[in-house]
Amino acid sequence: MIRVNERVLLCLSLTAAEPWPENATLYQPLKGEGFFSSSCSLYHLQTYLRMCGLPVQVVCRPNAEYMSPSGKIPFIHVGNQVVSELGPIVQFSKAKGHSLSDGLDDVQRAEMKAYMELVNNMLLTAELFIQWCDETTVSQITRHRYGTPYSWPLNLILAYQKQWEVRRKMNAVGWGGKTVDQVYEDVSQCCQALSQRLGTQPYFFKIPTELDALVFGHLFTILTTQLTNTELLERVRSYSNLLSFCRRIEQTYFESKDS
Amino acid sequence: MNTTLSLGSVQTCFKKVVCLFCSCLTSCCRCQTLRRARERSTLSCDCHGVLHEGGLVVVTLATVRAPFSRRAESRTTCHKGLKRRPVAMGAVHAKSMDPLPMHGKDLGVNPDDLMEHPEPEPDAKQEILENKDVVVQHVNIQGLGRTKEDLLGYEISDVFNAKNLIDVMKKAHIARQRLLRLGIFKEVEVLIDTSEGADALPNGLDVTFEVNEIKRLTGSYNTMVGNNEGSMVLGLKLPNMIGRAEKLTFQFSYGTKETSYGLSFFKPQPGYFERNLTLNMYKVTGQFPWSSLKETDRGVSAEFNFPVGPTGHMLKWEGVWRELGCLARSASFAVREESGHSLKSALSHTMSIDSRNSAIFPSSGALLRINQELAGFTGGDASFFKEDFELQLNRRLFWDSVLSASLWGGMLFPIEGKPSCIADRFYLGGPTSVRGFGMYSIGPQSEGDYLGGEAYWAGGLHLYTPLPFRPGRGGFGDLFRTHFFLNAGNLCNLNYGEGPRAHLQKLAECIRWSYGAGIVLRLGNIARLELNYCIPMGVQSGDRICDGVQFGAGIRFL
Repeated sequence: MIRVNERVLLCLSLTAAEPWPENATLYQPLKGEGFFSSSCSLYHLQTYLRMCGLPVQVVCRPNAEYMSPSGKIPFIHVGNQVVSELGPIVQFSKAKGHSLSDGLDDVQRAEMKAYMELVNNMLLTAELFIQWCDETTVSQITRHRYGTPYSWPLNLILAYQKQWEVRRKMNAVGWGGKTVDQVYEDVSQCCQALSQRLGTQPYFFKIPTELDALVFGHLFTILTTQLTNTELLERVRSYSNLLSFCRRIEQTYFESKDS
Repeated sequence: MNTTLSLGSVQTCFKKVVCLFCSCLTSCCRCQTLRRARERSTLSCDCHGVLHEGGLVVVTLATVRAPFSRRAESRTTCHKGLKRRPVAMGAVHAKSMDPLPMHGKDLGVNPDDLMEHPEPEPDAKQEILENKDVVVQHVNIQGLGRTKEDLLGYEISDVFNAKNLIDVMKKAHIARQRLLRLGIFKEVEVLIDTSEGADALPNGLDVTFEVNEIKRLTGSYNTMVGNNEGSMVLGLKLPNMIGRAEKLTFQFSYGTKETSYGLSFFKPQPGYFERNLTLNMYKVTGQFPWSSLKETDRGVSAEFNFPVGPTGHMLKWEGVWRELGCLARSASFAVREESGHSLKSALSHTMSIDSRNSAIFPSSGALLRINQELAGFTGGDASFFKEDFELQLNRRLFWDSVLSASLWGGMLFPIEGKPSCIADRFYLGGPTSVRGFGMYSIGPQSEGDYLGGEAYWAGGLHLYTPLPFRPGRGGFGDLFRTHFFLNAGNLCNLNYGEGPRAHLQKLAECIRWSYGAGIVLRLGNIARLELNYCIPMGVQSGDRICDGVQFGAGIRFL
């Protein structure tokens, strides 16, 4: 145990000492594969890293989900370290001396965490639900897209396996019995809460934070993803300040840098 | 008067032994003597030594009668002072002698012992049947339950072709072996009797096989404890499921870490047991710490085995869904990149010739096995062509020592520019291949995880000798050998654009080799254990070595 701890400490001190390397790589699945939830977290992570001013190279791999140590995508490969999920990545970048929420006081930080939980619990779950539990979406889009990198019959096996897994998760969080309309309603309520908190400010707090990255990731994905119907899109579009928030972040962090 | 000739049966008290070559009645033989004679594994007269290499031919005469009429034949040559008597035979009760050791101990049964209870000469009408023409009129099988008779017809039909009594016995014995080989009978006894009934010829014989079928369902249960892991293994077998020697086996292993299972169906061609078809369905999980890799395979395969002359061939199609994962978080990124699902659909062909006299400690003979595999042609994600071979030559030298040379080699060619998968590449090193190196720890590696190579070769030269001073000779000591070895090999990746000369050069540079000596223990006839002192040489950076004592166990050895 002691040796392990020493190694961890050593790693942390090393990572703290080393600057952010140029060759940091972000791995994500092929475009379209597992389209909804994965592109949410991709935008989320990319926005976060851009807000921090950390350069990262995006690489598509069909097996990214399995390469990740925690099974979550996307993940980053920095130096000889592999970090997945946003929490650890935020910690990791903080260890490298990059943090967004440093300017907030404790109350604001708590508030930020609360809103992030809300988004994760509502929007993320709703996206997974629509993606994997709405039968029309599953049969017309999801299953096909998820199985694209694999040859028959593995594409079907893996898609059904994933669907089963998500459904089990839905049952565990109590969403098993919900209908799609109830889910749309939940998304509306969540957007309502976010819209009220945002008001007329450019960001949720005075400065861009993790929450901004997270909300942008989800809303931008919902706004740009083609689904079997436009119900979800319409619900989000009805909150004009959220729309302009997305536009703003897209312009600031994506369009200006890409050009 | 009744005559019963028995092939090695010990159920009754036997009194006479008949040499089947010259038919001299060599002795009186009570059970005791018979047993001794069995151990000696000769029950012919001394001149005809071991005439039953295949386990045939012990004939004992219990009571003597003259069933075959008067055409007695008499011979006069007598061997070693044993008095030759004409023999009469009636019912011949045959039983295999395969439990007999082929080279059993010679307990020195001496003819005088055998003569100690001289049997009163049967009064009349004895004859020697050895050269006498007989006709097998009927072959019966008794004790059949669910087995279909047409299957057995192929196995026993040759008995009808026998022309004399010895022939009948030999052919009956062969038929018995063929029946046992099917794996559907617990026991097979052969009874040869004179024909009776209206159509019976004077020299007609009836051969009856008394069989005892294996139970419809057999099961086994084991628990295994390994490195930080316990598992329980449940096995079920349905031999002779439909009645034509089909076999269905199921094995299920439930462990603390993983579950695996296998279901296999075996179907031989009736009358040609060596030509058979096997269908498998399985899930297996393997952990490969040298690569920090774990692999879960779920697959189906179909295998067709058939002999061509002295060679055995196997054609196989296999479809496997492979799931690779890292064994630990610390796995190198090169291994991490290989993680995920893939589908391999491969056709393979294996040809083997094995003339060795034993699989583990052969003293003569050779083995050649060539295997080729084409993946991707029938679908799936993996595309490659793989070729590998194994050659072993053995030669007996002085004082029971054996010189053995072996050579392995293989190459993998990726097709359509797809890089090869870590699970398909070759690995080399360890106590069963190039000794003195860590298990599969030669060649390309990344952060201590061995990635395997696309080409390899390995050669070994062994001198096997019995243990010094030969303790336990003829018994326990025969399970051991000492050996001196010289191993060499190389594993690397080739650049396939460069041509054969560059490939050979690549394979010839940086050769790893090792030498040493050790003790080998044979486990059954399938596996062996080795304890060696090894001195590795030609070590390249990145290789893991095991300098000094190395212990190994396995079923395939260089």
